[in-house]
Amino acid sequence: MAYLELKNVQKCFGNVKAVHEFTLDIDKGTLVSFLGPSGCGKTTTLRMIAGFEQPDEGTIQLDGTDITTVNPNQRDIGMVFQSYALFPNMNVQQNVAFGLKIKKLPKPEIEKRVDEVLEMVRLKDTAKRFPHQLSGGQQQRIALARALAVRPRVLLLDEPLSALDAEVRVALRGEIRRIQSDLAITTVYVTHDQEEALSISDKVVVMENGIIQQVGTPQEIYRAPQTRFVATFIGTANQFFGTVSSESTVSSNGLTITTRKLTDFGKGQSVVVLVRPELITISSDKPVVKNINVLEGIVETITFHGAVTRLGVHANQQNVVADITMNSSESISLNQKIWLSFKPDACKVMAADK
Amino acid sequence: MNQKIKSSAKEQPNKRAQVWQVILIVLFLFYMLLPILSTYIFSVATRWDRTILPEGYTFEFYKEATDASYFSSSLRNSLILSLSTILVSLTIIIPTVYWVNVRLPQAKSLLDILMILPFGIPTVVLALALVQIYNGTPIGRTPELLIGAVFIYSMPFMYRPISNAMRSIDALRLTEAGQSLGATTLQVLLKVIIPNIYPGIISGSLLVFATVFAEFTLTKLILGARFKTFPLLLVEYTRINGNIAAAFSVISFTIAWLVSLLILWVGKKSQGSAEHTPNAH
Repeated sequence: MAYLELKNVQKCFGNVKAVHEFTLDIDKGTLVSFLGPSGCGKTTTLRMIAGFEQPDEGTIQLDGTDITTVNPNQRDIGMVFQSYALFPNMNVQQNVAFGLKIKKLPKPEIEKRVDEVLEMVRLKDTAKRFPHQLSGGQQQRIALARALAVRPRVLLLDEPLSALDAEVRVALRGEIRRIQSDLAITTVYVTHDQEEALSISDKVVVMENGIIQQVGTPQEIYRAPQTRFVATFIGTANQFFGTVSSESTVSSNGLTITTRKLTDFGKGQSVVVLVRPELITISSDKPVVKNINVLEGIVETITFHGAVTRLGVHANQQNVVADITMNSSESISLNQKIWLSFKPDACKVMAADK
Repeated sequence: MNQKIKSSAKEQPNKRAQVWQVILIVLFLFYMLLPILSTYIFSVATRWDRTILPEGYTFEFYKEATDASYFSSSLRNSLILSLSTILVSLTIIIPTVYWVNVRLPQAKSLLDILMILPFGIPTVVLALALVQIYNGTPIGRTPELLIGAVFIYSMPFMYRPISNAMRSIDALRLTEAGQSLGATTLQVLLKVIIPNIYPGIISGSLLVFATVFAEFTLTKLILGARFKTFPLLLVEYTRINGNIAAAFSVISFTIAWLVSLLILWVGKKSQGSAEHTPNAH
């Protein structure tokens, strides 16, 4: 049985359905992230787990007991906020000790635990400082230490890195993951940043409009998206709309795309073929390899991304993006005529209305 | 050479403006301080109607003022009245402002409007209405009714600073953070919210003290002679002896300033101790 179970949880704000029939099992000790654009219901779901919002319907169970109506302060669930929410009138040590004092732990035990968690977030030397004397990244680490000090059963993180700059964000997410696996604490992580979700989660829950789109490991989510939304929200995907023309081809705007065997689709059905930009190869001469999809196009944009360079190519009456690595021997310039090719294996076919 | 002329010509109007500024400021200060200053001088003057400055000086009026039969009781009454109003005000307004900020943000504008109302009702009307309504009830014409009335009357002075202080912190987020650490709402209010709105609480208390300590109309109309406060005594003496009344005024100023300093000092001290208590050593 899962540790944290959400069963058919629903929440409306006025006429807006924020969360719709949300059912999810979270195993003990895992890090699960809720990923989606803003307004997709991920934060609302998190706040229902924390007890700050009441679900209109459904139940939330923690370790076998129903906590749906339990007060937030009796749930034993820690929370880290985007805005840190450190108590400005207390120094770091007092902030971290707050929950322990509320629990009325003996003083030596409080001291021990405060030291322990400050050590864990590597900020022992800031114990006497006040929140306003710390950087954003340091404040968020203190907020994490404060939440962990009471040893909660579940840790919730609500966009904890959104207010930080890129470098700190990457460093801190690694640290969060390290601490989470060291403590083996069940964690729910809300983010709109797909890279963040993919890099630190055991499982990713992709949400849109209050509905779960897909649940899976980061690899599953990226490699085998089940809906068009997931495919385009997680990373980039070229979309070729068309109809099934044979058992392994799709015809799109006159172009015949060879795919893997289409067992789930009948001839004439409307489908979309999704191809990741990194699976498209570029060449200036027409490739002569057999059993490969080839289309001709004109380079319209070149965007340098560091490790890769992304090309925007006008091909087959639509825009296609392709990633090439820096050391590609081919030099590409704007308005150049090039050939794009991708293998049938690179194509992910799904119903057009999915 | 040419440049020099230009610059001095430029300086001319600047200097003139500066002179005017100084004159205006001096006039303003004169206007503000003259009544206070004359009260001070009048309270120690022997005779001051034939000359520009008093003919002689004496502390006799202070002795007479402090010897007055109601001096200490009216002073005590005034202090009781203002301090208990501050207490009532704090216990009602802090939780209300907190609740509205955290749970009922849509009521914020309603509360803002409600808090201007006391300014719109003349105190005479307020007092007479209260007397009419509560006459015959156990609290009619009692100091308790007066405390209720001056609380309403001084409410905006407490509400504004506290509301501003509350808006400057993210009360909702701090509350949720406290709750997720196991604290009840009351614990959050006492240990997190109040220490963080301290500056608002202090300035609110100061304003309420200053207003209530000098309150005359409500006290006079609701209680009259039954509960003589310092302003009542003062007004009484303006009819008997102007010099003694002046001495009362000076005593009143001084007490108001001393109490203000005390409130500031207590505020600074408790805020400082909240910030600097070493809790683990």
